[in-house]
Amino acid sequence: MKLCCSFILLCLFSLARVQAQEMPPVQPLPTQKPATDAKVWGALVFATNDAAEAAAMPKVDVPAEFADIPQLLGKVFPWQRHEVIGQHLQDVFREYESWVVPTKDLFLKIDSKGPATGGGMNLHLQFWRDQQVLVKTDAVLTRQSPLFIAGPKWRGGQLIFVLVLKEAR
Amino acid sequence: MPAPAAPDPGEVPDIDLVKRCQAGDTRAFDVLVGRYRGRIYAMTYHMIQNETEAWDLAQEAFIKAWRALPSFKMDSAFYTWLYRITHNVVYDWLRKKKIQGEGEFDDSRTEHRVAAGAEAVPHGDLPPDTALKNAELGKRIQQAISKLSPEHRQVILLREVEGMAYEDIAATIPCTLGTVMSRLFYARKKLQELLKDCYEYAH
Amino acid sequence: MNTPTEDHDLLRWLDGEMSAVEKTAFEARLETEPELKSEAELLQRLSLDLRTHLPAEMPVPYADFFNSQIQVRLAQEENRQSPTLGSRASVFQWLRLPWLLTSAAAMIALGLALWAPSTAPQAGQLVHSIYVPSSSIQARSYHSEEARATVLVLDGLEEMPADRKIVGFNLMHSEVDEALASTTLYDGEGKAVAVMSTHAKSQPVLLTAAPHTP
Repeated sequence: MKLCCSFILLCLFSLARVQAQEMPPVQPLPTQKPATDAKVWGALVFATNDAAEAAAMPKVDVPAEFADIPQLLGKVFPWQRHEVIGQHLQDVFREYESWVVPTKDLFLKIDSKGPATGGGMNLHLQFWRDQQVLVKTDAVLTRQSPLFIAGPKWRGGQLIFVLVLKEAR
Repeated sequence: MPAPAAPDPGEVPDIDLVKRCQAGDTRAFDVLVGRYRGRIYAMTYHMIQNETEAWDLAQEAFIKAWRALPSFKMDSAFYTWLYRITHNVVYDWLRKKKIQGEGEFDDSRTEHRVAAGAEAVPHGDLPPDTALKNAELGKRIQQAISKLSPEHRQVILLREVEGMAYEDIAATIPCTLGTVMSRLFYARKKLQELLKDCYEYAH
Repeated sequence: MNTPTEDHDLLRWLDGEMSAVEKTAFEARLETEPELKSEAELLQRLSLDLRTHLPAEMPVPYADFFNSQIQVRLAQEENRQSPTLGSRASVFQWLRLPWLLTSAAAMIALGLALWAPSTAPQAGQLVHSIYVPSSSIQARSYHSEEARATVLVLDGLEEMPADRKIVGFNLMHSEVDEALASTTLYDGEGKAVAVMSTHAKSQPVLLTAAPHTP
């Protein structure tokens, strides 16, 4: 069954890729877009003191509104460089799980629990490393206050997961 | 349903705690959670055999119970009532899994699974004159239980673990007495087949 | 092969569902039918083993956290329900409530905190609960006033191997396939980069295309 499911997914994936290549860059909207509660920006940051290592990392173009994140990370973590090496702008669905996958190695599952009384969103978060869930947490994410998850050490530095609330209903 | 273990002389009876909960006392509910979490967790764990998910489902069951407490008429024991809520929570979860394409309720697939499991039994691993050690048998039983369909697994757990009488099982599921007996019969047949080598050597 | 009636008799005997008369009659039958007796003994043994190896009660991992998490969720529900009560009750009914004064004070305090400039500390803790399945990892959270951020710290995480290539994506858009419960993830140019789904036991399945190239 798992094999069968994976096969169907693979077919779907191939189809999505073919469509993506043949159609204009703008994706057609699905006929019934699932209801969303919020939009979040998730990023994977490589924090290091090694300037050469930091320079060698492939980076992504961070939207201007999140450009101050590396600077804020510098106020929390003891590293000199904070490079955004992956990012994901994702809708938080009201009735479905949402995945924030700035990298294939570390990603976040989000279940919306509705707007928080003091503003922002109540979210159930699961932080995954491959097939292992590292932590589950119920937290409020507000537009003023991003979430930084201190991830595993890597190449003398550290991987940090950032989650920012971009819009909320 | 087996009679709950005799309470300690100083222990507040369930019924008093339930009344306090119905008046909004969350501390009374905390006592009930502490009293029954081990049994509820064992039930969710046996049904889905995943520690993390079983933990979450047990949580969900207690939260649902709290929400439903205002309408609890105390016409059955609190644990019986709580057990039914847990049963519904687990079944909703399994149904969602089915919708996600796992086909958990497909009995024809269960038959196939049984055959596959039986073939996978390591016949050559144990000398015929050596009885399986307790721990090994425990592991094999867990594996065999996980290969049953949810309906068969549930009826076996209700009977053997919870010690329920047929009528209580029928009321909990809910289904007819005939269905209970037929599911129990086939569940045991499948377990016998899956654990065949354990019992062959043991005899 | 037994007939269904015989199977049912065996089952009812095994599960203690027979009357005393039925039981005596069935046990007499067992003495005359060795095959049935052997089947009955096997089933009895299976039954005993199931009871021995499937405990009716199990220790709950992080038992204290299990209870406290429920209390947190109950408190959240209470908070959510309070405004509903307010919308149903008239203003005058509310004014008669003795707790109004304390609540009003608390609400004013909360209001002040929310109205405070964004550089001021956030009101209250934003992480309600943390659960770590692995016993080798410890988690804690705090609010950094300087960075205006909630920080979740995981101690005891296994280091990523240095030779592992961390592949970053640049994802701008996603679509959900409800039937398959999967999400296709697209980059800024509309190319499908990955498909995320879950299989049994909620384990994630991530199928990826070519790694991101800057």
